[in-house]
Amino acid sequence: MPPSLIRDLSDTSGYWAAVWTMCTMPDVHVIADAPVGCFNLVATAVPDYTDAIPHIENMTPATITEQEVGAKGTSDKVRWTYENLRASGALDGKQVIVISTAESEMIGADLSSLVATLGEGTRFYWSNSLSEDEWAGRDRVLRWLWEQFGAPHAAGVAPAPGTVNIIGPTYGCFNSPSDLEEVRRLIAGAGGRINLVYPLEATLADTPRLAAAQVNVVMYREFGAGLAGMLGQPMLYAPFGMRETTAFVRELGRLLGTSEQAEAFIAGEKRTTLRAVWDLWRGPQGDWFGTTDVGIVAGRSYAEGLARYLGDELGMKIAFVSARPRRPDDPDNDEVRQMLHRRAPAFVFGSINEKIYLSEAGAKFARFFMAAFPGPTVRRAVGTPFMGYRGAVYVVQEIVNGLYDTLFNFLPVDQAYSMIRGGPPKIEAAPGNLPWSLEAKAVLDEALEKLPYIPRISASRQMQMQVEALARERSLKEVTPDLVREALATAGM
Amino acid sequence: MEPIALSAEQSQGHTCKLHPQSMCPAFGSLRILSRIEGSHPVMATDTGCLYGLTFVTHFYGARKSILAPTLGSAELYSGEIVEGTRAAIEAAAREPGCRLVPVVSLCVAETAGMPEELLPRQVGDAEVVLVRVPAYAIHSHPEAKDVALEALLRRLGDREGPREERTVVVVGEVFPADQLAIDAILRRMGVAATIALPGRSIDDLRRAGRAAALAPLHPFYKGVTRLYREWGASVAGGAPVGISGTYAWLKSIGALLDLDPALVDRVAQEERDKAQAVLAAKSLKGARVLVTGYEGTELAYARLLVEAGAEVPYVSTSIGVDPLSLPDELWLKTRGTQEVVYRKALEEDMAALDRYAPDFVLGTTPFAAAAKERGIPAMYFTNQLASRPFFLSSGMAATIGFVAETLERTNRYREMVAFFAE
Repeated sequence: MPPSLIRDLSDTSGYWAAVWTMCTMPDVHVIADAPVGCFNLVATAVPDYTDAIPHIENMTPATITEQEVGAKGTSDKVRWTYENLRASGALDGKQVIVISTAESEMIGADLSSLVATLGEGTRFYWSNSLSEDEWAGRDRVLRWLWEQFGAPHAAGVAPAPGTVNIIGPTYGCFNSPSDLEEVRRLIAGAGGRINLVYPLEATLADTPRLAAAQVNVVMYREFGAGLAGMLGQPMLYAPFGMRETTAFVRELGRLLGTSEQAEAFIAGEKRTTLRAVWDLWRGPQGDWFGTTDVGIVAGRSYAEGLARYLGDELGMKIAFVSARPRRPDDPDNDEVRQMLHRRAPAFVFGSINEKIYLSEAGAKFARFFMAAFPGPTVRRAVGTPFMGYRGAVYVVQEIVNGLYDTLFNFLPVDQAYSMIRGGPPKIEAAPGNLPWSLEAKAVLDEALEKLPYIPRISASRQMQMQVEALARERSLKEVTPDLVREALATAGM
Repeated sequence: MEPIALSAEQSQGHTCKLHPQSMCPAFGSLRILSRIEGSHPVMATDTGCLYGLTFVTHFYGARKSILAPTLGSAELYSGEIVEGTRAAIEAAAREPGCRLVPVVSLCVAETAGMPEELLPRQVGDAEVVLVRVPAYAIHSHPEAKDVALEALLRRLGDREGPREERTVVVVGEVFPADQLAIDAILRRMGVAATIALPGRSIDDLRRAGRAAALAPLHPFYKGVTRLYREWGASVAGGAPVGISGTYAWLKSIGALLDLDPALVDRVAQEERDKAQAVLAAKSLKGARVLVTGYEGTELAYARLLVEAGAEVPYVSTSIGVDPLSLPDELWLKTRGTQEVVYRKALEEDMAALDRYAPDFVLGTTPFAAAAKERGIPAMYFTNQLASRPFFLSSGMAATIGFVAETLERTNRYREMVAFFAE
């Protein structure tokens, strides 16, 4: 079998999963058995741009150097780090967890016996970073936290009627502040009370209290169901779109015994929040949906949720979907890249990888929406959910505004202004058309066919003018296929 | 590969270096390798590393797709690392216009062993250049820029063609306008051409092998400097920073290239006059500034601020001690700087914040955040200073103006603290 290659990796390793999960809890301090780079990237360089935080404060590297790699191993360095942290007071009231990294695993540094000689209760988490990806890692670390810090102390904890956990949000979860806000609102609407938002708004000491919820809502299909399964109570996934959200609220009401309240909430939402979708559907905007195509690359919840809402409910054409982790038939990044290079859909939901592929393709007529990591973005305002009823409104609003922008970019602007700036030469809007050979027309049609539907009218007129201007410049009596190809190349099409 | 010495290992003093401050060292190499036109990097590493480095490269480096072999435990332990890397090189070389495939070998690949002799040197039109940058041995991202540039020059530098006697290779990532200003002033002194590295062009790398002189503007280009000495080229120390630094640098270039002394002197004097006029127009007198980035260029910035009248009691950087940075360190220490810290940790910067109560901080993101929490104007050195001119009199004006303007906004920083404390 040929070696497998990675193009623009979309998901990170078990080590990152562990850090981004554990470090959300203020009573944890992580010591990473890591070289400086694994510390900087996870704790500062990336969460600066995914979570908009200056850095993760409750994490310290053992800073592996050539000595440790060479022969010494990392035990002494981890011990030194632990002792100095303790002396500085940074560990007061903290649970210390030592985490392995790919490099420490590479040199075989299993510190499970070392931690027993550090302060009482210090744990070692083998992040399995040479084998485990972000999603398996995220699921396993949540289960491990429950096994280590929850289950042993949860014997007397019984589910309280009407209470719900939200499991999943951590650092590095795209758009989670808005989605969390919306899921919380849906739970309240269905008649539930929040027990814990785990781990994002919990402490490690809260972990046993996970057992106190009657229902567990798992935010993401890509991870978190493992913990919910161990807790044993009924589980629901956070919903996308109008139909699924309605089913979610209804089911939650049934589970909590608050069906009446849930139904009243659904009815109220149709009159208020969702009214925007109804109005856009009845208005001229809705007419565009059926001729607008969409490509989706995102975490599994987002990918499946957007495809169901935009495709099944609104009737948009779904050009492709690729979930993270990838499902068996999902295109990989190489295939996504080739598709975008060949012909980009009108809208692409994705990560910075897809944004780069669109740049490579010069696909200036496709519109990009950030919908996944990796990629720098601030999503701390809570008004931009993709999930739930408000998400259904927000996503459709973004799409319609995208259509408006696309249209705007194709409206003619008087070229005298670009002449002042020394811009491209003026196209003479000469009276009457030049005759086009059939082949020339076919070349133009083929190029236009690759454009999203909406800008085609304006683009075709613009290209026609450019080609004819070129023909007149060369005193041609007829437009030839070569001339069209030349003009298209100049226009970057 | 020779590891870079950890010259300031755990300090014996009171401050414990728990949180070292550098980007992932390898990022320095990726930044310059990804920005070269026709270059398609291959990264040999684990997925966590790949994710993080690709992320920052797509932020600070280039909009460029990055290939890697899958290196999990199966591949690493079974020695399939070369096979996978070769396949990735082949794929990268198929990219349109590919002329260079830098193979960036990182911690786990270096630990497992990446034998250079088993990698191709050339695939189609593309040169394949191995760049070894394990974070555990390089320690800071500026030093990884040097490692990458040295590897590129050793492979691509043209040593066959005729030597260009009055051409200077100016090394260091600088603001584009600085590059033009440096080129212009050197030409006025009689230099035939300058080549700015690291840059976008592979041809510049080739031609750089024929240049008669090297001017490393930053003090971490140790390997590149060593290479040019091997090649018998002259090396100009220092950099055109501030009044005295610029004057000395221009004179030294003139002497190295045997340019007309009267002409050199006239140009250097004119530039000195301009620099003095800049300082006369804007002074930072009375401001106490901590310069605590991790770019390896901190000493030069501190020097400029001191000339502009600021008090800079503390300077820290991610790079190790090296003779190349000693002149700036001595210059600073005779002008009031009390501490210059190499391979610094957050703890040392925090102690300095307590000790010196500065008016302005140029720091890493964690440290700048800590200063802002105290209502002290602070900026992320990397983002703010790299994005404006710095060298010669024109650069002085821009940099000093930036600091002065920030100081004028001090109240905003205080008000923000007060608001969030309420």
